[in-house]
Amino acid sequence: MAFLAPIALLGLLFVPLIVAFYMLRLRRAERVVSSTYLWQQLVRDVEANAPWQRLRRSLLLLLQLLLVVALALLVARPFTERAATLARDLVIVVDATASMAATDVFPDRLTAAKRAAIEALAGLPADARVSVVAAGNSARVVANEVSDRGRASRAIEGIEVASAGGNLSEALTLAGALGARARGAEVLVVTDDAGERSAAAGGGEVTAGERDRLRVPVRVLTVGRDRDNQAIAALAVRVDPSGLKRSAFVSVSNSAPSRVIRRLQILADGSPVTARDLQLEALTRADVVIDELPPGTRIVEARLGMGGGDDGRGDEGADQLRIDDAAWAIVPPDRLQRVLLVGPGNVYLQNALALLPNVEVYGATPTEYPTTTGKESFDLFVFDGWLPPELPDKPILAIGPPSTSPLGTVKGTFSEPAVAEAPADEPLLRNVDLSRLHVAQAQRIELPDWARPVLTGPANAPLIYAGSRMGLPTAVVAFDLRQSDLPLQVAWPILTANLAGELLGLAPSNLDSVRPGSPVELPLVRDATGVRVTLPDGTTREILPSATGASSVTFVMTTQLGPYRADPILPRSPAGSAPTPSGPAPPTPSGSPFRGQSNSDPSPGTSPATTGDASDPSIRFAVNLFDPNESNIAPGDGSRLAAWGTDQPNTAAANGRARDEWWVPIVLLVLLLLVLEWLVYERDGARRLLEATRAGVTSLMPRRRRRA
Amino acid sequence: MTDSRPGTLPGGRARPDLLPSAIDPTVFDEAFLRQLERLTLVMRKAVQGGTKGVRRSPKRGQSVEFTDYRDYALGDDLRSLDWNVYARLEKLFIKLFVEEEDVTVHVLLDASASMGHGAPDKLLFGKRAAAALAYVGLASYDRVSIAILQGRVARRFPAVRGSGRVFQVLADLSAVRAAPGPSDLAAAARHYASQVTQRGPLIFISDLFDPNAERAISELAGTRSEVSVLHTLSPDEIEPQLEGDLRLVDGETGASVDVTADLVALDAYRIRLATWQADLESHCWKRRVAYVPVPSTLPLADLVFAELRRRRVVA
Repeated sequence: MAFLAPIALLGLLFVPLIVAFYMLRLRRAERVVSSTYLWQQLVRDVEANAPWQRLRRSLLLLLQLLLVVALALLVARPFTERAATLARDLVIVVDATASMAATDVFPDRLTAAKRAAIEALAGLPADARVSVVAAGNSARVVANEVSDRGRASRAIEGIEVASAGGNLSEALTLAGALGARARGAEVLVVTDDAGERSAAAGGGEVTAGERDRLRVPVRVLTVGRDRDNQAIAALAVRVDPSGLKRSAFVSVSNSAPSRVIRRLQILADGSPVTARDLQLEALTRADVVIDELPPGTRIVEARLGMGGGDDGRGDEGADQLRIDDAAWAIVPPDRLQRVLLVGPGNVYLQNALALLPNVEVYGATPTEYPTTTGKESFDLFVFDGWLPPELPDKPILAIGPPSTSPLGTVKGTFSEPAVAEAPADEPLLRNVDLSRLHVAQAQRIELPDWARPVLTGPANAPLIYAGSRMGLPTAVVAFDLRQSDLPLQVAWPILTANLAGELLGLAPSNLDSVRPGSPVELPLVRDATGVRVTLPDGTTREILPSATGASSVTFVMTTQLGPYRADPILPRSPAGSAPTPSGPAPPTPSGSPFRGQSNSDPSPGTSPATTGDASDPSIRFAVNLFDPNESNIAPGDGSRLAAWGTDQPNTAAANGRARDEWWVPIVLLVLLLLVLEWLVYERDGARRLLEATRAGVTSLMPRRRRRA
Repeated sequence: MTDSRPGTLPGGRARPDLLPSAIDPTVFDEAFLRQLERLTLVMRKAVQGGTKGVRRSPKRGQSVEFTDYRDYALGDDLRSLDWNVYARLEKLFIKLFVEEEDVTVHVLLDASASMGHGAPDKLLFGKRAAAALAYVGLASYDRVSIAILQGRVARRFPAVRGSGRVFQVLADLSAVRAAPGPSDLAAAARHYASQVTQRGPLIFISDLFDPNAERAISELAGTRSEVSVLHTLSPDEIEPQLEGDLRLVDGETGASVDVTADLVALDAYRIRLATWQADLESHCWKRRVAYVPVPSTLPLADLVFAELRRRRVVA
């Protein structure tokens, strides 16, 4: 045993001081008694005539001497050395993905993982440096090259489970980069082995080709035992073609190796609608359609609970992961959207618009447009080859604008422009294949500041662009449809649906299927200074645009599962009342209705939507886990993760020496000695208290019992 | 009607002026004295007394209780001849009767300085007990010898006989004060034992706070008297009311002892006291001495009519 601060052993000088205090004669009160004959025979501390008296055996003295010795040892920090089991530079990756919330180990996997990681710190050499990476929905460094194990432990303790799927490859890459800063570094991954699970599931998260990215050895500590879990794998609400009924589609998966019975409960705006027991076979999914959604429902919630079973008892304990037992879906608005198509007449456009769900299309020629009444009641204006002198303050889709306007400056025309490859992440082009698009002639329009290019032609000249113009969603197709083969392609109705969706706020596009931790683009309505987002736990966050005139804000705090609501922050009106974004009840439009339809969107999971109430400009969206990799909590052995590291043995770890400090038992000893010293000193009081308590208890006992 | 005023004797006789004021007269009221008169100090063996009394003597005498015959000798009193036997056997026999004599009751009171402590102090209790037992002896027509043990000597009052001398006894006892300074109980007892010429009941009243207390008892038992030890302790000696770090000063010797009077120490004291009393009782039993531990708070009537009766000191 050695000492880190041997100078502190000077504290042992207090030992003779305490002994001297005990040898000093105590000043006592005199009491005359008849005889000291009996006292003399039993009293040990007979005094001497000198001011110093003989040192006698005293339990109190012994305890105080032991206390001084223990305190001196504590300050001197004794330690023992042993061979280190970990490298001097260690990067700990703690898996904090959703599956780590599984409770198959007590209390949950993440807690067990953190405990294992902290225990592993004991194998570090004395001069070790530790970095800690939390692998949630993204990799995050929570401690960087700290030499204080307490700080490292606190950093590990502070890691919380994320309600999102994991990305261990990102965390391993980050850990490899951190470990590459020093020679002989090592990566320790504490996980339930989501990487192997992802690979087995075909996710490709950890692949053999990426192995050479890490030049440090990777050691894996696995936690987790069972794979019993049931999850809501999907939840979507779709509208009946009649537009009157809404159905919820729920998919429930069972990862357990045995058949279980679970109760599925559907709630509409918090009120129970129906509940049914599902028999889930081992490793299967069950799909359920709920048709009983009440009209006007805005949020549908599905909960998975314990099943009733034949005997009335549920299968308790068979669901080890709770966070995937609930899902939410936002019901698309019921309100019919009115679209005014202004143009000479385009059957392709009319048909494509008329196919949209919940859309009523009206038509007008350019000559009829100035006299058309009730323009305020339209939600979207589609100008086909014509633009009015004054654009309405409504969302606009312009097809082949003939001249310069606030929608864009026309600088000429293209002839048979080459169509560039469509960007993969463009939401308007989702499920749209324009690789075979041919355009005979298109307007050469300069891209306005408020727009983003959707499809470009030569020299990045936009063929299709969209954006928020003064808070109004606007899209422009730079060519006449009749000058292209676009209306003849399969992509046409889909592109029309995507455009109408973004312009009408129906878009499932960028807000569809929000995953935990993913950023959400929230459009800014006109005059709005920001967006106030209400989280599922009731807290609110205000998001302000990063630049003046921005058409949208990005909300990134989507870590909570559940429904979110985003309300525009509008400046106060002089009268003190908030302006309503829409006017009074719309008058009957004078345009010719082509066809009024309320078809539903064929794609499920239209989670975010504006509310059906026209006076409510809020946007709702739901964040759901819906991650089969996380719901399948079967733990792995970590071999695939370990294969990420180098195969070369780490000699640095073998050369290091780990220190075990003895302060914990010494502190316990000090506390014990303090308690004993107090008890010995106050033994009379304690005994009197005990006797008084006994007497009190005895007096409270019934007399008959006392006699017995 | 009987005059029950303090200072009057049974039968309405006037009280001599010797009644000491130090002794509470209410303790010795008429009813109590009448009860005392019915008691007698127990003698297990007949002992030879001095003058004629009411106790059986080993000698043959003139009482009415027949004991034996012997042959007639010249000079014998002819009134003692048994003529009936002579008529049958034609031989002269003299009838012998039990002689009845008095005995000397020895009352020894320890008046060392330690007896002056306690509430009530042990010496007052001892004086009252001595007076009561002396009166029992006087009422039984015994000679009563009272001695005060102080220092190394026994100060003996003149022996008295007859209940009329009770006030003399009370006066003598009232004048007794606790002697300051150290005492030697064994030496004082030896001193008294050397003066004992007549055997009889010997009551020794003391707190026995002396290292040589057992030797003192042995000295008294050596007189072949029927010794009874009234071991008197005050309540604060039986259950000390002490707490904290104290220096206990011996009221007799002035010696001091430093103690930490906690519950452990008090428990040890109680154990030590019990052991000491058990040792004393064992020592007394071996020497045929009656050992009677009495607290100084014990009422005199309870002492005489209950405790001493139970111990067969009086009957």
